[in-house]
Amino acid sequence: MKTSILFSYRLIFSLFAAYFLGCGGEGEEVGMESAEDLDSESKGIIGVSVLTMGNPFFSVIANTITSEAASHGYEVIVVDGDRDVQKQANQIDDFITKGVSAIILNPCDRISIGAAVKKANEAGVPVFTCDLKCVAEGAEVVSHVGSDNLQGGKLAGEAMIEALDGMGGKVLVVHFPQANSCQLRVEGFKEVIQIHNQRNETEKIVVVAELDGGGVRDEGYKVTEDTMQAHPDLAGIFAINDPSALGARAALEKAGKQNQVKIVAFDGQPEGKQAIKEGKIFADPVQFPDQIGKKTVELIISYFNGKEVPSEVLIPTALYTQADGLKDPELK
Amino acid sequence: MMKSLKALFSSDYGMLGALLFLCVFFSLVTYEQQQPVGDMGAKILVEKIREKFSEPGSVLIMGKKGTDGKAFVNGLKRRLNTDGWEVKQDLTGGPPELSKALRNTFENNSSVDLLACEQFFARLPMLENLENTSSLGKKMLVMSPASYGWPNFLKTSNLLNVANQIAVIAILAIGMTLVIITAGIDLSVGSLIAFSAVFASWTIREWTGGTEASVLGIILGCLISLMACGGLGLFSGLMIACYGVPPFVASLGMMMIASGLAYMLSGGLSIYQLPESFDWLGRGDDLAGIPNAVVLMILLYFFAHLLMSRTTAGRYVYAVGGNSEAARLSGVPVKRILLCVYAASGTLAGLGGIVMASQFRSGDPKYGLMYELYVIAAVVVGGTSLSGGKGKVFGTLIGAFIIAVIQNGMNLTGVQSYTQKVVLGMVLLGAVLLDMLKKRGWRFSS
Repeated sequence: MKTSILFSYRLIFSLFAAYFLGCGGEGEEVGMESAEDLDSESKGIIGVSVLTMGNPFFSVIANTITSEAASHGYEVIVVDGDRDVQKQANQIDDFITKGVSAIILNPCDRISIGAAVKKANEAGVPVFTCDLKCVAEGAEVVSHVGSDNLQGGKLAGEAMIEALDGMGGKVLVVHFPQANSCQLRVEGFKEVIQIHNQRNETEKIVVVAELDGGGVRDEGYKVTEDTMQAHPDLAGIFAINDPSALGARAALEKAGKQNQVKIVAFDGQPEGKQAIKEGKIFADPVQFPDQIGKKTVELIISYFNGKEVPSEVLIPTALYTQADGLKDPELK
Repeated sequence: MMKSLKALFSSDYGMLGALLFLCVFFSLVTYEQQQPVGDMGAKILVEKIREKFSEPGSVLIMGKKGTDGKAFVNGLKRRLNTDGWEVKQDLTGGPPELSKALRNTFENNSSVDLLACEQFFARLPMLENLENTSSLGKKMLVMSPASYGWPNFLKTSNLLNVANQIAVIAILAIGMTLVIITAGIDLSVGSLIAFSAVFASWTIREWTGGTEASVLGIILGCLISLMACGGLGLFSGLMIACYGVPPFVASLGMMMIASGLAYMLSGGLSIYQLPESFDWLGRGDDLAGIPNAVVLMILLYFFAHLLMSRTTAGRYVYAVGGNSEAARLSGVPVKRILLCVYAASGTLAGLGGIVMASQFRSGDPKYGLMYELYVIAAVVVGGTSLSGGKGKVFGTLIGAFIIAVIQNGMNLTGVQSYTQKVVLGMVLLGAVLLDMLKKRGWRFSS
């Protein structure tokens, strides 16, 4: 039986060994130098905790930050907050322990994360946020970079008016009210619709329901199906992101109403753009995660250069229609 | 060698060896140059300045925001003043503040011999540019405390972080250990965290004064929430003990109920209208800098250990898990023990939720997602057998720390979070494998 025992030990320790070797390599790159030799390669580390790597939007932000910061001589560590505020708070603790020069966050909760941000404030580590804001009292964020969601919502409203081709009709809003960004999108959307209604007494666009689609496919599917039971003559859907719009589209296809109901979504993720090209979604105000990442690094570098930086920078969105989709070289 | 290793893993707390091994391992891989902070940093820098300058000149002192930065600046100022230096300006802040101070100094055409600052500033690109642009800047020497080598993992602050980060899971794991010893399982603990955090915050907001709540109001809110969680746990226990519902199913139902209740109470949003004093449990550190949550965790473990090893009730719990029929026949109140165990698990989950709510000063229905799995992992890694009847409370604590150390170590070494999940899964399987081998006398097939 001796061989089997030996085997079991080997198995267990080889796991640790494999892990050890994997880390050893990374550890060497993270060299901190004393003040005397400043002209060495890495100027410091920037710690990034994203909301979730499961959404390509955030991985684009993270990748852009990594490459942009590298061009300025900073190393970047990216961790996944996994939508779990406790996990993200732990990651911030670990960043502080590691002695990073700056932290970039997409807060998993705009209030609860405040405690961790305060810890970073206390340790003198500057915190930047992008896309999602931290609004906790007393938590200092140097600067925030995000999409202009209000302007994007207005674009979506204009797109909806265009989609309905001057005709009025009933519209469903597939909402995600927990997110501040989505509230702004819907606010902008309704603002434009209201102005349109004031000008057109006869062909009004009426928002008949605002339902929580959770920002995900299956919930978007469910709320669309339910709304069509109550309003079989639905004319349009505004979904606050691509996954919930695609869920809505699936419900329309099942009911055979895909030609009756027009969808306007938001984000411009690859699958959303593909759907626009195929005519499944009418149009998307698209965000530019790469520009968000780039701008954030730009702000950090100018902060490190001793410049005063604005507390908020908004990146405007742009409308993406089928014509754009047909020209887009990134789509199949 | 082989024999002693085998003996180590065979002992009741065999996983202690594994924990020590992990600590040594992560100490080695996280060895890095550290920057001295606070008064310590000031002391080291003054030594260096005395070596470099034979006679005092003028100095500008810059520290980071926060208490450490202030301590650094004050310590340096005091020491340099006694040495006869002229302290032109001393301030704390970020790069923009430093830039402004330097600009002001140079625009007044006054020269500064030395910029004494923390290393963060010395590494900034703005100081390199300064040398190129201003002649006065060129003359100024920049000095910061020399770094020293020490593992990130072994920093006091990090070790306390590890303990603090695992406190909630470790507290829940006590209840889970009892449940698993009775050969049951409690999947509802993660949702109970959310329910308890939301219910306590809600009670304080609605009934005991919100942000103006007194200490009594806070305690009342927490007690009500604890009792509610205990009640929900008791309800699962009732299903299991009296109606013979399998624990997996009963607690699965409770998991959904508790999560749903949390969402209903909060309307899906976090409740944050809480007084500042609510932070005490989750963020305070009154006992020699040890976080209160960790102190609470240690106390609970000692209590649970005494309960399980020194009291009849403790022996009964083992008896129920070993063979419930035999236990019943020999006069053990099986049903009552099961009820108590599930109520305890619910209450402890409630306590974990309150700690978490206190840490974040808010109650959120999204708290505790998937925590039941981490809690079960901690118990299993700690050597408690899922088939019941065997297990040690302190083993669970070690299991919880193994998970915390691995997570912390991987974060410190910058391992991707996807890889982290794979590693944790492998550790869990490794622990179960060890447990099996131990039972079968170190043989692979039974």
